[in-house]
Amino acid sequence: MPAASAASPRLEAAALIAPGAALLLAAFVLPVLQLLSVSFVAADGSFSLDAYARLISDAFYFGVTARTLRVAALITLITLLLGFPLAYVAARGSPRTALWISVLVITPLLTSVVIRTFGWLVVLGRNGLLAQVLQPLGLVEPGFALMRTETGVVIALAQVLLPFMVLTLIGSIRAVDMRLEEAARTMGAGFGATLARVTIPLSLPGIVGGSLLVFALSISSFITPALVGGPRLPFLAGSIFESATATLDWPFAAAQSALLLLAVLLLFVPVTLLRRERRG
Amino acid sequence: MVSATPRVWRIAAIAVVSAVVIYMLAPLAVVIATSFSASQFLVFPPRGLSLRWYTEVLSSPAYLHAAWTSAWIAVIVTALAVLVGTPAGVALARHHVRGATWWSALFLSPLVLPVVVLGIGLLSVFSKYFGGPSYFAIVIGHLVICLPYVIRTVGAVAVGIDRNAEEAARLMGARWWERYLYVVLPQCRTGILAGGFLAFNISFDDAVVALFLRAPGIETLPLLIYGRLEFSPDPSVAAVSTLLVALTILIVIALERWFGLGRLAH
Repeated sequence: MPAASAASPRLEAAALIAPGAALLLAAFVLPVLQLLSVSFVAADGSFSLDAYARLISDAFYFGVTARTLRVAALITLITLLLGFPLAYVAARGSPRTALWISVLVITPLLTSVVIRTFGWLVVLGRNGLLAQVLQPLGLVEPGFALMRTETGVVIALAQVLLPFMVLTLIGSIRAVDMRLEEAARTMGAGFGATLARVTIPLSLPGIVGGSLLVFALSISSFITPALVGGPRLPFLAGSIFESATATLDWPFAAAQSALLLLAVLLLFVPVTLLRRERRG
Repeated sequence: MVSATPRVWRIAAIAVVSAVVIYMLAPLAVVIATSFSASQFLVFPPRGLSLRWYTEVLSSPAYLHAAWTSAWIAVIVTALAVLVGTPAGVALARHHVRGATWWSALFLSPLVLPVVVLGIGLLSVFSKYFGGPSYFAIVIGHLVICLPYVIRTVGAVAVGIDRNAEEAARLMGARWWERYLYVVLPQCRTGILAGGFLAFNISFDDAVVALFLRAPGIETLPLLIYGRLEFSPDPSVAAVSTLLVALTILIVIALERWFGLGRLAH
């Protein structure tokens, strides 16, 4: 047996990883770094923080950031509240139930965001499905529509992102040892108390992970806010697109990207570090 | 366990789950329903019943050309993603890689980092060094967002591979590439298939990366739909969307059959 093949598991792993690593460095890490460097360049080519100063001081862009974060927080809360019961039923129900919930969650997930948003345009628009259901009940005025409103964006985007929450939660609820729940029940805890004091605390990793994921995807999302919110209700991602392609203000587009990236990294780096520590 | 669940909770669970089911499916159902409309305008509920918008889509050069563009981009992206992602998935799942946590974080980061930032970063690089956006730029962008899925599905399968078979092959004198070709890869088959389906689906459905990296004249199917939604869509958009939903359902069935949908939860 050639010595090289026995002594080189480390080399072997490196060789397997190399193509993917090279691709991600060249096509992902470097472009993002190059973009970040653009954010520090003034029109005359000198170093400047003007783009960041404008991002913070301009009331309009501050509003864009605030709206993006506000909507993301709401969506995270909604997907958690709707997603947990669904995930619980999937994790603790029969295999058949679990399969149907997976189908229900994964089919929309794998459908283009453009199409899912299209559906919401028909539901939320003037004379849309929602208006047709609510008007006869006298709940809303004629001409009611949620298009071009923040509420509309929340409703549509929460549906788009719910699958991510449910899939993350299913995994972590399944990982909770069912015997602990049974022990709690045998020792006299009611179903609600067991849920609140055993199941939910033990599935906290999934609750945190799912919330971070949904929040990050929400502040980054482009298609749904652009189509449902429209041009008068800009969100961060749409604003980046505008700056880069319409006003051609690259430093400003880059600064907004840096802000978005920073927000996502602040969410995920601590989690990665924690996970690493736990693994030892 | 379920039998011990009090009735109130069970009713509450059924109510919440049904509400969420309606919430999840309503937008897709509405699109499918309006596609069979006989009316000229996009209205719900649809007026009349006809397949005219399907005939319209299938005889429209704009739709067909965009579909063709999306399809060949997705095929190339899938092939490359499988080629690059499979070895990485195997390595991260089976070998003791130094700094494995950070490598996994890097490989999976396109899942959580903003796609708009990737799009604009690539746009900036391609404008500066490669003479502007192009089909090639779109393929590269899609490759980045598809790679994590292949790495994850292959990794999920590779973790469970029997190490003894590989050791046996080694002892019997198989060279390293024979070991991979005849022992490791066949055992990863389902993960590779699932990753490939996901990669194809994501590339075919993407509008964000393509929106940033399209050169004038490049039109993929999601871009075409997005463009029409910004103005006034007619029911042909619903018809083409319904065809895409049908394609998605086929992919979901394939995933369940060969990989298991349950394994996509983590």
